[in-house]
Amino acid sequence: MFALHHIARPQSPTTRRGKSPVPNEVVRKASPPKGQGISRRSLLRGAGVAAAAAGLNLSYPRRARADDVTLRWWSPQSSPGQLAAYKKQIATFEAAHPGVKVVFEPTSDEGYSAQLAAAFAAKQQPDVITHLPSFAVQTYYAQGLVEPFDDVIQAIGPDKYYPGANNVYKTADGRYCGTGIGNTAADMLWVRKDLLEKAGIGEIPTTWDALRAACKKMQTGGIYGAPLPYGLNSMTSLIIVGFIHRAGGNVFAPNLEVAIDSDATAKALDFYKSMKDLCPPGATNYSWGESVTAFVSGATATGIYAGRVLQNVRNQNPSIADFITCTTYPTISKDIPAWTFNDFPSIWIPKGSARLAEAKLFAAFLLDPPGYIEQLLAAPGHVLPVLKTIATNPDYLANPIIQKYKSEVDLMAAAAAGGYNLGFETAGHKPNPKANDIIASNVLAEMVGRAVLNGDNTKAVLGDTAKKLADLMKG
Amino acid sequence: MASISERNGARQGEWTLALRYSALGMLLIAPAILVFCAVIVYPLVSTIHLSLFSIFTPTLQGHWVGLENYADLLSSSTFWNALRNNLIWTAGTLFVQVVAGVALALLLNNNNVVFRPLAQSLVLFPYFVSTVVAVLVWRWLFNDLYGILNHFMLQLGLIDMPINWLGQMPNAMISVILVGAWKYFPFVVIAVLARLQTIPPQLYEAATMDGAGPWGRFFDVTLPQLRGVLTVVILLRTVWDFKEFDLIYLLTGGGPINATQTLPLLVYQQAFGLNRMGMAAAYAVVMMAVMLVFMSLYLYRFRRGEEAA
Repeated sequence: MFALHHIARPQSPTTRRGKSPVPNEVVRKASPPKGQGISRRSLLRGAGVAAAAAGLNLSYPRRARADDVTLRWWSPQSSPGQLAAYKKQIATFEAAHPGVKVVFEPTSDEGYSAQLAAAFAAKQQPDVITHLPSFAVQTYYAQGLVEPFDDVIQAIGPDKYYPGANNVYKTADGRYCGTGIGNTAADMLWVRKDLLEKAGIGEIPTTWDALRAACKKMQTGGIYGAPLPYGLNSMTSLIIVGFIHRAGGNVFAPNLEVAIDSDATAKALDFYKSMKDLCPPGATNYSWGESVTAFVSGATATGIYAGRVLQNVRNQNPSIADFITCTTYPTISKDIPAWTFNDFPSIWIPKGSARLAEAKLFAAFLLDPPGYIEQLLAAPGHVLPVLKTIATNPDYLANPIIQKYKSEVDLMAAAAAGGYNLGFETAGHKPNPKANDIIASNVLAEMVGRAVLNGDNTKAVLGDTAKKLADLMKG
Repeated sequence: MASISERNGARQGEWTLALRYSALGMLLIAPAILVFCAVIVYPLVSTIHLSLFSIFTPTLQGHWVGLENYADLLSSSTFWNALRNNLIWTAGTLFVQVVAGVALALLLNNNNVVFRPLAQSLVLFPYFVSTVVAVLVWRWLFNDLYGILNHFMLQLGLIDMPINWLGQMPNAMISVILVGAWKYFPFVVIAVLARLQTIPPQLYEAATMDGAGPWGRFFDVTLPQLRGVLTVVILLRTVWDFKEFDLIYLLTGGGPINATQTLPLLVYQQAFGLNRMGMAAAYAVVMMAVMLVFMSLYLYRFRRGEEAA
């Protein structure tokens, strides 16, 4: 047998220039008997093996340094401005930590649930995840998929946070499953002051009746009243939670028993149904993108969204920039206080990261100014600062959009700070570890679809929804 | 004359040679068998195995439930609704694909068509464009506020208000069927056109001499000649359309409500939305069973038809 193991050794550069890698004595030992020469079969065999070895050598990667670490960072917030800000933060972090690389991978509000399920199943979960709702982190923590975050919060500095800012991340076992990368007032009522004036409406509506009447008056000349979502998606689910609370109801009782089958929910659905004719026809399929675009483009007189409206209007439709403002979304009556949906965008670390120390360093770094300020200002007013020190930072406040819409941004910040979500419906509620599963199942969006689009009997719909929620809580 | 022992020895030699040839044959097809087992048999067995458990997707941990997944599935109105939608979608898009595909293939088979080679290339475009790109473009075409379809129809006075193409029934199912047909009919065109070009022209001449008009020639000459290729095309397209996921998921997400939710979307929702991998596997197995029944009936009818012919 020809000396295959000698041929298979990766060749040095000198040997690629034609010098034999094989010591002469090996060649002499492997040579056929004197007088017979090398057979064609042997030559072909040797050439084939040499070619395979050369191919291997050419494709053999440069040996990585033993201490090189690559962190994968996921986030659904990935507008061009935000991506640019992330790039700078990553560059700064990498410069300060040689040997550590960070790769950003965008996900989406609708898709992260499925992507994370697949990532965990394949043991390919990222090292750091940001901007997911707080209830998502709680759900994953309850499933044993999240690293405790207490030491990272200590590294950031607990005193820098607004009081109680991390309460939504407190887990049943007394740890913290993550921290906030910001606050978002996700369902503010955006209005066009010029259209209000044109319709002869003196003040921004604060009750549902007033809102409906205002939308009716403003719906003219190809402009619709509102862009509420009715599609089978997370926006519909999250928005209807807000309407249930603004009718004085809950999805769950404080002890997490199902409480959706109530008069308040029925009234919320009735109002939601009455608004459907004041929304564009395609609202039956609307999610976040379509809804905000409808208002920003001027197709609707009101909007329901977070602070990204400000930058989108400036970039895409500056003609209405002087006429937009926002307020907390109206409630069913003046007796019911405002309820704002804050998804408390998070930073957290999935369990199983092989680069835990570096991941924690990076997670804490994400809240370091000036990178954090630049990240926030990539979407000014949309993700609001969760640290007191940043909210009063002159660099943050100097942003032109923040300055132009100071009262709106302050209102959103206050509303978000007092906001809640399905994982934490009121101050008296226990954290709901199944909230993310409930949103991902589209049970609430289906409830809206059946009651509003199908016209099914509301009581029957609520009964079915309550049963499905109970099953999800058990499961 | 050979003795008995010599004849036995010769036969033994033949057997040994036959065994060696068999062994060589098996060795040569072994790589194909291995690949077949790896990409078909293993996933199939694995899926059936998974369907007997309740599995939490992120951790792939679970416990044995036996046929409980199947019992829950078959007693769920969601499954039957999705199956009904699946059958409507498959039958609808297949019908349009075959009719449009055969019609365009007949057109392209005509030598008098101007720029025929260019047309033959362009007709393939929908098939080659990425589904994601195609659906995003169609979503903009269908958009109620900015879509060009509504814009033109409003301009022409055909409608007073924009049509909700994707958020209302039956528009949503019709839109999904039409987009699916647009995307996949080039496959039918290619297959049928290739067959059309091999039909002897003498058959048409004979039919013409016998007094057959255009429709007569189509039904009595063309269609019988296309029978074989259409059988294969319909079989393949049925299987592929039945399990279509990305086009429907991106276009409507299964909405409005569950009006366009098909079985593949349910599998996805179960596996990654509800984190129930075992139930998702059960749905997939049931999908396969439905397709097996259909294919068996289809091939049985085709063979009977051939025997009768």
